[in-house]
Amino acid sequence: MGIQFKDVSYAYRGLKVNYDAIGHITLDIKAEGEFIAVVGHTGSGKSTLVQHMNALLLPTKGNVVIFGQNLPPKKNEKINYLRQKVGLVFQFPEYQLFEETILKDIMFGPKNFKSTEAEAMLKAKRAASIVGIEESLLEQSPFRISGGQMRRVAVAGILAMEPEILVLDEPTRGLDPKGRKDLMAIFKEIHEKENKTIIMITHDMDLVAEYAKRVIVLDNGLLVYDGPKETLFDHPQFEQFHLDRPTSLKILKHLEKEIGIPYQAKYDYTSLLDYLKEVSHE
Amino acid sequence: MNNITIGQYIPGDSWLHRLDPRIKLLSLVILLVGTFIIPISTEWIPIASMLGIFVGVIILTATAGIPLKKVINGLRPIVFLLTFTFLIQLFFISDGKLLTTFDFHLSLTSVIAIILIIMFYHWSKKYIKFKILYFLFTVALVFFAQYMLPYVLNFYNYQLNIYDQGLIRAGFIFVRITNVIIMTSLLTFTTMTTDLNYAIESLLKPLKWIKVPVDVIAMMLSLTLRYIPTLLGETEKIMKAQASRGVDFKESKFKDKVVQIISLLIPVFVISFKRAEDLGNAMEVRGYIIGAKRTKIDEYRIGFADIASLVIITLFLAALIVGRILG
Repeated sequence: MGIQFKDVSYAYRGLKVNYDAIGHITLDIKAEGEFIAVVGHTGSGKSTLVQHMNALLLPTKGNVVIFGQNLPPKKNEKINYLRQKVGLVFQFPEYQLFEETILKDIMFGPKNFKSTEAEAMLKAKRAASIVGIEESLLEQSPFRISGGQMRRVAVAGILAMEPEILVLDEPTRGLDPKGRKDLMAIFKEIHEKENKTIIMITHDMDLVAEYAKRVIVLDNGLLVYDGPKETLFDHPQFEQFHLDRPTSLKILKHLEKEIGIPYQAKYDYTSLLDYLKEVSHE
Repeated sequence: MNNITIGQYIPGDSWLHRLDPRIKLLSLVILLVGTFIIPISTEWIPIASMLGIFVGVIILTATAGIPLKKVINGLRPIVFLLTFTFLIQLFFISDGKLLTTFDFHLSLTSVIAIILIIMFYHWSKKYIKFKILYFLFTVALVFFAQYMLPYVLNFYNYQLNIYDQGLIRAGFIFVRITNVIIMTSLLTFTTMTTDLNYAIESLLKPLKWIKVPVDVIAMMLSLTLRYIPTLLGETEKIMKAQASRGVDFKESKFKDKVVQIISLLIPVFVISFKRAEDLGNAMEVRGYIIGAKRTKIDEYRIGFADIASLVIITLFLAALIVGRILG
């Protein structure tokens, strides 16, 4: 189960010519235990790719299989239910808020998927507590809170649907460092506690290094790398991916060159600091 | 969302693209006046001039490098109007020579046939490529059924007498509306909105003497046009975001649809206000003052081709007026 891409291409219709946004992508994403980062520079087809994962876009060539449902679907086959199984959080999701109160807005998703009022309320409250929205805020208007809180409410709106796979399109874009860290901590916790697969588009290589287990690199709509992050940064063709290295690896490379500390890949600051302490004690 | 053809600029480098926007707009106005000056009659001069305009705009379209398909797509919203004006003209004008007569019957069989044809049309139209032709074919089929099936409970008979006058007038109006639509869409196809805006501003300049804020109106107009695609894009994004939350804009019941429309409207409303505010600030920091004198980044110069086309168009209008007075 999970999501399978079989030689998928998607072409946007242009005025005179169609141009491919993604081409010949073959992927296999398990329903549990994955934390995937999708990277690539602007216009490489990342957003187009993830919109296939909950059937918002249907492949113009090839097949996507989401939890056994083949796409593009046959005539009269309903695909709306897939969007409950794969929750997609868009870029700047705070713009999708519209209800009178935060609670009602979070309940909107589950209610669309046939939850009763009481069930939806329960799910919404659970989701709100996961993203750290206090109970006292729930009856307020979603337009009266700060940008960072709005984003969390929007994320809670997706979490309340209890999706099996969570897809995030640049979730931390436009947030300050603290907001970014808090939000990523939430996703990490969801991933670790419930063993949910999380797929995340990002431009921030530090986030890739710290959180992702597997990385998918797109370049000009083509899949150029799909594998664990550990081998990505030492990949012989890394320069051709047009990516930056994460700060921690840059620091380590620099220290190796300047003062001869042996290079060892560390992907977050805590383990980097521990390693440096260890080296200096020797 | 992407099927809106009216007002859609098609990039190109034909002579029609390069024509001065003021001249183009003025020529359009003159041509429109010309089209409506031609009297509806069965004389050969009006018919010839109307058909001449039609051939003319088709040639213009071809030389401007606009795909004919785009132009026909622009006609799509008025196909209903065209068909019904044509039919009404055909039915109600009874002057001139009688050409043919059809006997139509409304009976149990023909009514059932009509219902079946319409149902079949609605079911099958999504598979047909040439929708306009298919629609016309269906209309023809509906009348054919009334003609062929006078059986069982024949409760109403009527005759369609086609007179030569009726046919010509119907065709005349048909061509006239088509001409107007093609001409207008040709202008928007070949002129960028900024240029069009400049043309409007420039042609409305005389109104400044009576204290009409022409430049402000022109700016509002251009901003509105500019923001249509942006807001459409935002709407599409919000639609997708709400679809991810389970909104099914296509398949749900009417009762649910109301809430779903709200879930689309409010975010778009909020976004457009935010955009307007951002834009207002951006304009202000760049020194936009209402009513202040501004210079243009592009200077427009009237060239030989511009004058030539204006002269030709004016002569054409003069000829039409003379034709009308003499006729």
